[in-house]
Amino acid sequence: MENKTGYIKRAVSSMSNETFISLFMISVLIIFFGIACAIVPNFYLPMNILNLIMNYWYIILLGIGVTFLLVTGNFDMSVGGVIAMTGVLAVYFSQSAEVLKNPLAVGLGLPYGVALALALLCALAAGGVNAFFIVKLKVPSIIVTLGTMMLARGVAQVVTLGAQRNTSLPDIFGVIGNASIPGTPIKISVVIMAGLVLIAVILEKTTIFGRRTYLIGANKEAARLSGVRVERHLTYLFLASALLAGITGILMASEFKAGISNRATGFEFDALVITLLGGTNINGGFGSVLGTVVGALVLAVVTSVATGMLLSPDWQFVLKGTVTFLAILAQRYALDRRKG
Amino acid sequence: MKDTNMDSKRVEFDQTHKWNLIVKKYYIYAVLLLIIIVFSVMKLDKVVFFGRGHFLSPASVTNLLRSAVPILTLSGAFTLLMISGNIDLSVGSAMSLNAVVYSFMILNGFNMGVAFFLTLIVGIVCGFINGYLVQKLRITPVIATLVTLSLFKGVALLIVPNGVSAIKGTADKIMPVWINDYARQKVFLDLPVAFFVAVLVIILLIIVQRKTILGKYAAAVGGNRTAAELSGINATQVVWLLYILVGLMAAMAGIARASYMSMGNPLSGDGMELDNIIAVLLGGTAFTGGEGSVAKTVVGALIIMCVTTGMMTVVPPYWQLVVKGSVLILAVALNTTLVKVRVEA
Repeated sequence: MENKTGYIKRAVSSMSNETFISLFMISVLIIFFGIACAIVPNFYLPMNILNLIMNYWYIILLGIGVTFLLVTGNFDMSVGGVIAMTGVLAVYFSQSAEVLKNPLAVGLGLPYGVALALALLCALAAGGVNAFFIVKLKVPSIIVTLGTMMLARGVAQVVTLGAQRNTSLPDIFGVIGNASIPGTPIKISVVIMAGLVLIAVILEKTTIFGRRTYLIGANKEAARLSGVRVERHLTYLFLASALLAGITGILMASEFKAGISNRATGFEFDALVITLLGGTNINGGFGSVLGTVVGALVLAVVTSVATGMLLSPDWQFVLKGTVTFLAILAQRYALDRRKG
Repeated sequence: MKDTNMDSKRVEFDQTHKWNLIVKKYYIYAVLLLIIIVFSVMKLDKVVFFGRGHFLSPASVTNLLRSAVPILTLSGAFTLLMISGNIDLSVGSAMSLNAVVYSFMILNGFNMGVAFFLTLIVGIVCGFINGYLVQKLRITPVIATLVTLSLFKGVALLIVPNGVSAIKGTADKIMPVWINDYARQKVFLDLPVAFFVAVLVIILLIIVQRKTILGKYAAAVGGNRTAAELSGINATQVVWLLYILVGLMAAMAGIARASYMSMGNPLSGDGMELDNIIAVLLGGTAFTGGEGSVAKTVVGALIIMCVTTGMMTVVPPYWQLVVKGSVLILAVALNTTLVKVRVEA
């Protein structure tokens, strides 16, 4: 008996902090899932589990960029605004240019592909603003990205006159967000999400780029001294985060076939929550995209249990706040215990 | 020959440095003046100077000051917190929560004094929680206050009954009319009590920042926390106290907002944290902490109010976010260039 606990202890202490936290969060997920199955009838059905993932694809997609940034110790609070802006602009660019009475029905009439490319370019521009102020002028990321959040959402509101644009769109606009793999209910958006997660995991775990990201998060000065171009690296990460938000924005606009200016409010917070739930350290240094996916599942389980128990939607803020708080504490506690 | 050359260079350097210092010291007042001039000239073809509908007409000025009460109340304490190198993103939520709590109590028959007092306690508790998370549990300020942002907002939404958007008078429960007295009833110069309370708060906080130990300690902690602690300052206590102060002021602001709108809207404080950050950055407070000025933040707050109110007369309301976002980005840019100009350099 004693030998066995000794073995486990040794196994645990030989693990890296990151593996330890990942395993920890996965066990939290399993426990939560178990509780959910006990409370909510039919929760264990595969269809339901699939739904949990599919309903959260956009948060996971955002979470990829946010995770990479948080690993380096930076925040991106502008993702929600960028989603709204990109969606609205994609709609505006591809609406037909015929002059109609309703100003919200008149767009630029660009071909579909060009419209999407331009919209993504605008998303990248928002990321560029972030990168410029944070990397060049050394302003804390939280302040700058809150500014671009307002700016991006402001652009969305100006273009839609504070409402939404949903008419005179080409038919092709609604395809990508609504199409699903033939014979299954799995949407293309979910597939795109899964593909990007896969790319991100490979990038993070097997490439020099990924190792540099961790190094910057662990010790920026050491990274700089050992020849990592910290500024350029962070710029790439901010651009990537904005691009992912842009892709999400286009997919969501296509799903509703509308550019809605108040779409995705609070998504930046959700993305941060799942990243923290996934075990990414708030001070940077470690974390993983797969962990973020686990975090998204934890949040999905918690919120769907809450709705299953017929709690009013007003509970979601308290719930999210509490869960995040507990996740941070649990992470801290687990790491402290290991050391002690 | 060489020496004189050096001397002249030095004089030149001192001259530019002096200029930089002057710019740093007074630019904020110039910006405020400029904005006021722009807005008062803008529609002169339609209205008379100081006349009805003019940006500087007595009615519109009092209106502006009246609606500026919450941010004026809050921004001073927020500045002190940022000088100490911390941030509170939950002020908006705390303000909404307090507005809801206050109007809930008034609606349920509490008298004003009791409701006021209890709301202030709620505000102090909010600040206490933030301070606890940041100082005792050592969670990064941004994350800790984002968590409480969500929590306070959630609690405010939960207090408001299902099916209605805010705590307000209904058919069977009438909101007492005197809830307006604090922030609407004109007492002096057409301005309400709440405005003078805000002014009093500002004056007190300017004194606190410039003349008291708390102000000095806040700057010391923000400048270099380790050094401050080594020289015997209890940094934890100072920062915790500042969080509580911010919570208290959020309660004051919430009460003013509830009284002004005669209802408790759980979303009424949304975006307040951004307004405060803009005001503080415009006022030249370093976002890394260490230096800053409450008085200049107040001018920054007035600038935001002028811009938002002034813009409303010129462009449709949906332009507001773009304008505010641009002002924030500009403030950041201005701030980074100016903070580099150190007073002692």
